Amino acid sequence: MNSSSVLLTSMLVQMKQTFARNMFKFTLFVGPFLTTIILGEMYRHSTADNFVAYVVLGSGLWNLWNCIAFSSAGDINRERFSNTLSIIFSAPADFRLILLGKIFGNTILSLGSFFLSVFFAIILYRPPVIVNSWGLLMLSLILTIAAFIVMSIFIAYLLTLSRKTTIYMNCLEIPFTLICGFAFPIENLPQKLQYIAWLFPPTWAVRLLRHSVTQQAHGFWENFIPLIISTIVFALLAAWLYRIIFRQTKILGTLDMA
Amino acid sequence: MPIIEVKDLVRDFVVGDGLFNRNKKIIHAVRGISFSVEKGEIFGLLGQNGAGKTTTIKMMITMLAPTSGICKVLGYDSFGQEKMIRNRINFVFGGEYGLYRRLSARDNLKYFANLYKIPRKVRDARINELLDLVGLSDRGDTRVETFSKGMTQRVQIARGLINSPEVLFMDEPTIGLDPIGAEMLRKTITEINSLGTTVLLTTHNMYEADELCGRVAIIKEGELITLDTPANIKNRLTPRKIERVEEITLEDAYIQLVKGGEGE
Repeated sequence: MNSSSVLLTSMLVQMKQTFARNMFKFTLFVGPFLTTIILGEMYRHSTADNFVAYVVLGSGLWNLWNCIAFSSAGDINRERFSNTLSIIFSAPADFRLILLGKIFGNTILSLGSFFLSVFFAIILYRPPVIVNSWGLLMLSLILTIAAFIVMSIFIAYLLTLSRKTTIYMNCLEIPFTLICGFAFPIENLPQKLQYIAWLFPPTWAVRLLRHSVTQQAHGFWENFIPLIISTIVFALLAAWLYRIIFRQTKILGTLDMA
Repeated sequence: MPIIEVKDLVRDFVVGDGLFNRNKKIIHAVRGISFSVEKGEIFGLLGQNGAGKTTTIKMMITMLAPTSGICKVLGYDSFGQEKMIRNRINFVFGGEYGLYRRLSARDNLKYFANLYKIPRKVRDARINELLDLVGLSDRGDTRVETFSKGMTQRVQIARGLINSPEVLFMDEPTIGLDPIGAEMLRKTITEINSLGTTVLLTTHNMYEADELCGRVAIIKEGELITLDTPANIKNRLTPRKIERVEEITLEDAYIQLVKGGEGE
């Protein structure tokens, strides 16, 4: 009862706080438009499948990732600056539930950016969107969101340990988006970078989603199994990381700015 | 048994300097202080900026790990047994931070009530009671970002009392408050103390420490230089060291102790 209450209220507080920020509104409403235009112009003369995969889905995923992962990570810093991070960390409620609630809140808001991107792409370029399997598309979307949430938790935990959150966040944002293949197939990357891309759940989530719409990116199981494995691995890493941060933040004293 | 027990408490910080923070330097924030606080006391920690008061409080409220020494609250180690302590204490930091500024005062209190596992049945009544206590019952549904510094600080105090803590830690709670706000807060502290809450506070306001605290500890550069009742500390001042013999204040005694290094 109390756990669900902590989760729910953390989610609602996060949504109220986040939606009141102009920067988030820009990321939510203007970001999808800009990304869709950039990717749309890049793929204007490409095949219909590529257009759907990298403009309709690509821009949606790009914005979804930016909103979920980087708003969640950025919130750690905002909470640190407003001195609420140390308070929620030292409260009797489990910090993991609080953080999960915040990420759920961001996820719900961020889905708006995904659907807006898809909407803009369809309205602006009118591509022939023929979904291979609606059932598979829904399953892929749910797994993609789960993978993004797990990665967000992992990044947010990692950033709790340091006060230089903004620097790390900005360093990670674009490389991560490119390496996971949101804007182009990872097969275009050098082989060594492809090995790195394979480690991250979003890479497989993106491929699975593409497969469900266009039948690109190989078969279902070839993407589904690595996605499940990499998501579980990152979830376990996040659980392990929590045990470390619970001690280390108190040893290093990084919960607030003082 | 003391409700707070601090013995030979040390806290060092390693700070980096230069390119890539390669030059590491150790800052000794707290250097082996010892004191204890009994149930029902109002205990003051006094000291200059950077003396180690906030660091000491942070160790007691389970936010920071001690480098060495003992730091027990309600009989439990503040580092390692946090779960046994957290729902029985609370803390208030001075200043405008520590709240969700885009939420109303009531929404802030509701959220923190949830984090402190206050049952829904008693939560709303408790929030109304606290808003009334801090004089904000008519502004409870207004966003905190529209509040003055004093009003924000009062919401912080309400937040600190949300779980009816056995021990309340207050770090410079009257900082930035106008005289009427500060007076109201002092009354609130006395009131909650009379209901059985032990209070440990830090302050720069010697009048406040003198009026509120049963005992005070003065810290200088991380070391405890004296620990006594305000009356005894004032009595220790010799007339030749101060011109206004007829009205020696705690501030006179504090200045003499800190500047003169005349400790125990």
